[in-house]
Amino acid sequence: MTGLFPAQEIGSLMKPRWQIQGQHGQPLDDTSRAEFRAANERTHFAEAAPAAASALLDGHAREAGADAIRDLGALFALRLFESAGLARVYDGEARRIEMYEYPIRQMHGFQFQGHVRSFDSKYYLKAAVTDEIRLERPYHVEEFDFVKRYARAEPKLPITGPYTLADWSYNEYYLGRRPGWKGPAARRAAQREFVVDLAKRAIRPTLSALIDRGCRVIQIDEPAAGTHPDEAALVVEGFNAATEGLDAEFSMHICYSEYRDLLPELLEAKRCRQWAWEFANRDRDGRDGYAVLKALAEYGDTRQVGLGVVDVHRDEVESAELVADRIRRAAKYLGDPARIWVNPDCGLRTRRLDIATQKLEATVAGAAIARAEFERPNA
Amino acid sequence: MIVRTGLTGPFPRSEALVAATRDFDRGRAGPDAVEDLYSRTEAEVVALERRLGFDTVTGGYLRWADLFRPFAETWDGFTVGPLTRWFETNTFYRQPILHAPPARVPGAIAARLPPVLREDPPRGGVILPGPYTFAGLLENRSGETEEALVHRLGRLLAEEVKELVGTGFTTFQFTEPLLVDRPPERALAEAVVAAYASIHTAAGPVTTLVWTYGADAVPAFPLLDRLPVSAVGVDLAETDWEAIPATSERRGLGLGVVDPRTTLIEDATDVVRIVHALKERRRPNLLWLGPGGPLDLVPWEPATRKLHLLPAARQALDRTDGGRP
Repeated sequence: MTGLFPAQEIGSLMKPRWQIQGQHGQPLDDTSRAEFRAANERTHFAEAAPAAASALLDGHAREAGADAIRDLGALFALRLFESAGLARVYDGEARRIEMYEYPIRQMHGFQFQGHVRSFDSKYYLKAAVTDEIRLERPYHVEEFDFVKRYARAEPKLPITGPYTLADWSYNEYYLGRRPGWKGPAARRAAQREFVVDLAKRAIRPTLSALIDRGCRVIQIDEPAAGTHPDEAALVVEGFNAATEGLDAEFSMHICYSEYRDLLPELLEAKRCRQWAWEFANRDRDGRDGYAVLKALAEYGDTRQVGLGVVDVHRDEVESAELVADRIRRAAKYLGDPARIWVNPDCGLRTRRLDIATQKLEATVAGAAIARAEFERPNA
Repeated sequence: MIVRTGLTGPFPRSEALVAATRDFDRGRAGPDAVEDLYSRTEAEVVALERRLGFDTVTGGYLRWADLFRPFAETWDGFTVGPLTRWFETNTFYRQPILHAPPARVPGAIAARLPPVLREDPPRGGVILPGPYTFAGLLENRSGETEEALVHRLGRLLAEEVKELVGTGFTTFQFTEPLLVDRPPERALAEAVVAAYASIHTAAGPVTTLVWTYGADAVPAFPLLDRLPVSAVGVDLAETDWEAIPATSERRGLGLGVVDPRTTLIEDATDVVRIVHALKERRRPNLLWLGPGGPLDLVPWEPATRKLHLLPAARQALDRTDGGRP
């Protein structure tokens, strides 16, 4: 622990070009080889897997195998986070394609329906729940084992929450069981059944397996929480059902939402020790993105806050001084600096790796400035 | 009571078109290949609409990035702004930013309509943003009040309708989810009525629909019943239909009976039951059956399956006393 304002990872990183080429069995081009070598000189990430690294650099990606190259990608992200000075790390989700399709594919009861447009020419694959949900096997477990084996900082695992998995799916099974026209009341009741079943039958057994393997810090991602503010109580019901009887340090990550609209219902998430929310994105054009924290103080909530201090949707790298200013404001609104962890707003996968690295370094440097002020106020 | 069926918003892109537009975005396909696929997919949508006996064809509005983009990109006064969530969905639009009072550019929207519509304008369904939703969802830096902006957009859309009527189009839908999500009150409500009065004057005897979705329409009915349009559509998956108020005036009614938020297929007998109940209460002279909202919230294959409800419901109504006269 570094004292006040420790830094943590919050989500995925962009996969390095060499990882993508290697996983596809392609020999690295000169650019990818140079990027690999430069990163390795900086963090020595490949020391833990020298054979795979040599094969990849020597043009034998296929012989190295996609799994070994994914391992290298995970090591790369781990060391990147650690070298930036983060106290809690993961593997940048180096093995995951995204946060919806993979967990759904680990469960019986779903059928993928096709692609839906999110905006412009960006799409996502969407499944329908068509049968009783059954977990085929707990997931993210091997992934966590790998991180635990190699991490030098404390591992922190992110996992998609039940509300988001349900919201991003079509509800056929639970809705179809209700007779007659499927109006608003039927839809609400069917969605509640869906979320709670997902939580109990799939997420909780997975969390339990992860905890059995030694996972102590778990971030439950609920980016869909802000989509339907009137369902905040259902977000909480899913969270509570997923974590029922489990002992770990749970946090809830929500982003790009009107947090006030989710309060006070959200505060009923019993085993949530930290709110990991996005703030920096809304802290511009004269607006104070951190003022919403006053709402937590107004409700008397004293949990930790994972404070988003850098915007993941802009290349402009925040100065350490701006990060420190954001921390100061958050500390003022919360009334207790000891409750603050710092992190990017959300996963940095949309930013180039050099930009992502600089943003992480700014996060840590800004925290150091603020820490010095709070720990030695008269210095 | 005349029963009509048709799409009330965009249709999803086919999986082939999804792949092609992705490839184009990533520089792996040229514009000609994508254009060709757009044309072929639009033709497929039209063929589906005809096969299902729809009264209008739309081609699915596959090229429209969002409801406002053709306007934000072509009308004066706008720039295209940030990605913004589209109501309570996991889809996004680029928020138009209005920097000055807007001005339409003649011919610009006609040029953005699906090309297949221009082949047979009398059968083409023109789908436009409603003035209230347009005004309420853009970022207004023009200095105009929201009321004035609703009024002005109503006049501009009226000019648009007039131009398109002149080229042979006869059915116009104004998409207004905001009318039920955030029903206007007082002066703003009057501005909405005035905007539709402008459109009514310009449109003449053609069919005009106001289509709402995404929230319970019941609280908005006092206003919806004042709009001078052929029919007002409501999203039956969100609306407490048993609470839809009675009216003594014979008006058109649109029912969004295909729920775009689920791949589950609706039952025509449920639709018939609801229509009969509402017929007693509203005595509609026109009944428009369609999707409750943008059907591109589901992928191509389930969307196609779900649409078969519409001819099934229509046939079932024809067999009872609820069908065509």
